[in-house]
Amino acid sequence: MKRFWILFKSEFFVWKQDPITALGGILPPALILIAFALLFGGRLSFKVAVVNQDEGLMGSILRESFDEVISPLNNLPYYLALDMSLEEAMNAYQGYEVEGVWVIPPGFTRSIEQGDSPNISMYFFNYNDDRAKNHRIYSAEIIWNFYKKIGFPSPPLEIAEEYPRSVMVDWVPVIAVGVALLSVSLGSIFNIYALTNKEQTSKMTLEFGLAPRSLAWVLVPKVVLALFFGLVSGTLFLVVIYAWLGFWPGNYIWGFWLLSGLTALFWIGLAIVFGLQAGNYMAGAIAIVLTAIIVFFIGGGLGLIRYHAEDVQWYSWLFPNTHAIDPLRDLVLFNAWPVDWDITVAKLIGFSILSLSIGIAYTARKIRHIR
Amino acid sequence: MKRFVLLLRNEFVLFRTAIPVHMIGIFQPALMFSLMALVLVTPTFDMQVTTPQTALEYELVSLMEQVGSPIGSTYINPILVDSIQGQEFTGGQLIEFQGDDRNPTALQRFGLIDSNMVKNFRNRLTSAALLMWNISLGNRAVAIRELPWLPRDIPYSVYFGMAMMPLAANLAGALIGAFLTAQEFEFNTFMELRLSPMPVIVFAAARLLRLGLTGVLSGLVLMVVIGFTTGAWPTSIGWVMLILFAMGIIGGSIGTTAGLILQKTLPAFLVGLALSFFTWLLGSAFGLAAGFSGPYETTSRLMPNTYAVELLFPLYYRIGIGSNLTALLFLLLACMIMILVTMVFFRHEQLKT
Repeated sequence: MKRFWILFKSEFFVWKQDPITALGGILPPALILIAFALLFGGRLSFKVAVVNQDEGLMGSILRESFDEVISPLNNLPYYLALDMSLEEAMNAYQGYEVEGVWVIPPGFTRSIEQGDSPNISMYFFNYNDDRAKNHRIYSAEIIWNFYKKIGFPSPPLEIAEEYPRSVMVDWVPVIAVGVALLSVSLGSIFNIYALTNKEQTSKMTLEFGLAPRSLAWVLVPKVVLALFFGLVSGTLFLVVIYAWLGFWPGNYIWGFWLLSGLTALFWIGLAIVFGLQAGNYMAGAIAIVLTAIIVFFIGGGLGLIRYHAEDVQWYSWLFPNTHAIDPLRDLVLFNAWPVDWDITVAKLIGFSILSLSIGIAYTARKIRHIR
Repeated sequence: MKRFVLLLRNEFVLFRTAIPVHMIGIFQPALMFSLMALVLVTPTFDMQVTTPQTALEYELVSLMEQVGSPIGSTYINPILVDSIQGQEFTGGQLIEFQGDDRNPTALQRFGLIDSNMVKNFRNRLTSAALLMWNISLGNRAVAIRELPWLPRDIPYSVYFGMAMMPLAANLAGALIGAFLTAQEFEFNTFMELRLSPMPVIVFAAARLLRLGLTGVLSGLVLMVVIGFTTGAWPTSIGWVMLILFAMGIIGGSIGTTAGLILQKTLPAFLVGLALSFFTWLLGSAFGLAAGFSGPYETTSRLMPNTYAVELLFPLYYRIGIGSNLTALLFLLLACMIMILVTMVFFRHEQLKT
C-alpha cells in the first residue's frame, strides 16, 4: 500500500505540471454546452411574415392565433409573426430574413361565412425536411386554435394530454446531461494521456519494461487518478447545470458517479493502450478523443434514446455511453430511479472490466516486449 | 521563390513523420458524417396508439398515416398497442381513447420526455385530429395551400453534411498544425528556425499553405462521401475548393498558433479541437443561422463557418440566400486576421533566444 501511495503522489505531481491538459474534460464540453445552449436554448419560434389582405374579422382572428398558440419548447409561440405587405414579405422571404410567408387572401371572412372553401397560402423554406415538417405541423396548431376561437362546431374527436411532472424538462438540460457524461469521459481520457505523456517524451517505457515488479504498480495509480479527475470534471458540470438550469441529482449523485465512473473506466482502458506505446501516442490520443466526441453525438448526447432505441445504430451500442445516458438523465433531471438500473450497471461493469483487462494486459505485454 | 518551394516541399515531406495524425485529420470528418447521417432526425415518428374500437378511432389512426409531406416523407407511423404496464411508456407517449360517444377524446399520455419530444408528438396528433375536423367541416374548412421553396423536401443529411465541410477543412488544419508546430518544440527543431536568416513569413506561409491544402483534401473527401450517400453534388468544385482552402488556412492558423503558445502536442491539440468544434456548432451547423434565436444568429456572424456555409449553400441548392459577396469578404477578412496572428506569434518565437 505504501508503494502505491508513493506512486500515487508522484503521479499527482506530474498531473500538476500540465494544467491545460487536465482541463481536457472541461474545455471542449464547456464550449459544446455553450454552443448548444445558444442553439436550442434561445427563442426557437419560426420568424414568418403574415400578409393579411382580408377585409373582415376572420383574418385578424387568425393573425391573433400566431401569438396565442404556445409551443412546449421554451414556452413561447411557435411563430414570431411579423405583419408585412405582400411585397415586403416576399422580399424578406427571398433574402431569408423570414422562414415563411402566410398570405390571408381578400374575401377570407366571406369564404368562411359562406362555406366557399376558404384557403390561405403558406410559403416556406424546405431546404431541410425537418424544418419543412415543422412548418406543416405547426400550422395545424394555428388552425386548430383558430377554429376554436371563431366558434366552429366542436371537433369530432377532442385532444387532451398528460405529462407526468408539474414542470416539463426542456431540451437544453437533456443535452447538458449528455455533455456532463462527455466531460467525465474526456476528463479521464485527457488525464490518462497527461499521466503517460512524461513516459513517452522521456522514453521511460523502457524502464517500465525492465521493472522486476508487476506493471500494475505503475498503471493502477494512473487509472485511479484519471478516473478521479474525470469524475471531478463531470461533477463540476453538474454544479454548472444546477446553477444554470436548476437540475441536481440530490441523493442520487452517487448513482451518477457510479454510472459515469464505469463509463470512464472503459475509455481509460482504451486510452492506456496508446498512452504507453511510442509511435502511436498522439494519433491514439486524437483518435480516442474524437471517438468519444462522435459517441456523444451518435449515442444519445442530444436527446433521449430510450424511446427511439430502434433508430440507434448497432455501432452506438458498442460504447457504454449509449447505455448509461438515459439512466443518468433519470437521476439528474427527473430525480427518479432508472427502471433499467440493474441491467445498465451490469452492462457498464462488463464494458469496464473488458476494456481495462484488455488494455492493461496488452499494454503490459507490449512494454515488456523490449526490442 | 525557390526557397519557398523547397520549404513547401519539406512541409509535405513532414507528412511522413505523422502519417496516422494526417489520416485522422483527413478522414475523420467523413467518418463522423457517415456515422451521424444514419442517426440524424427523420420526420417520421413512431406513435403508440391503443387499438381502436370505434369507427371514429379507426378513422384517426387512418388519418395519422396521412399526415406528412406531399413531396417527402410521412410524419407518423402509428403503432397499435393493447395496453401499457404501469407508467412505463416504451414509445415516449401513448394515445388512449376516452370519453363517451358524445364527447370522445384522444388523450395523449407522455412518459418522462423533454419538451422538444412533447412538441413533436403533440403537433403530430393535432395534425391528424385537424384532418378529421376538416372533413367534418366540409367546405367551411380552411385549406392551406403549401408553396415550398424547393420542388421537394431535401433530406436533413444534405444540409448537415454541407455544413460539416468547413469543419472538415478547419479540423484537419488545426489538428495537424497544432501537432507539427508543438513537435518542433518537443524535439527542439524550432531552434533551426531561430538560427535561420530567412524571414519568418516564408516559414509560416509554407506551413499555412500546406495546411490549407490539407484542409481542402479533408473537405473534398467529405464532399465525395456526401455525394455518394445523398446524391447531392455541388455545381462547382473550384468554388468548393476555394472555400475549403480559406477554412483550412483558418484552422491551420489556429492550430499553429496553439502549438507556438503551448509548445506541447497534447494541450495544443486540445485547443485546436475545442475551437474547431465550437466554431462548427456556432457556425450554422444544424441550420442556417437566421433560422435560430437572435443571440445565436449574432454569435454565428462572428464564426467563419457561417460564411463558408452561406457560400456553399447556392452550390448545393442552386439558389442563393443573402449576399455572397459579403460572405466572401468576411471569410477573406477572417483568413487575413488569422494569418496575421500566426505571423506575430511565429515572429515572437523566432526572436526568442
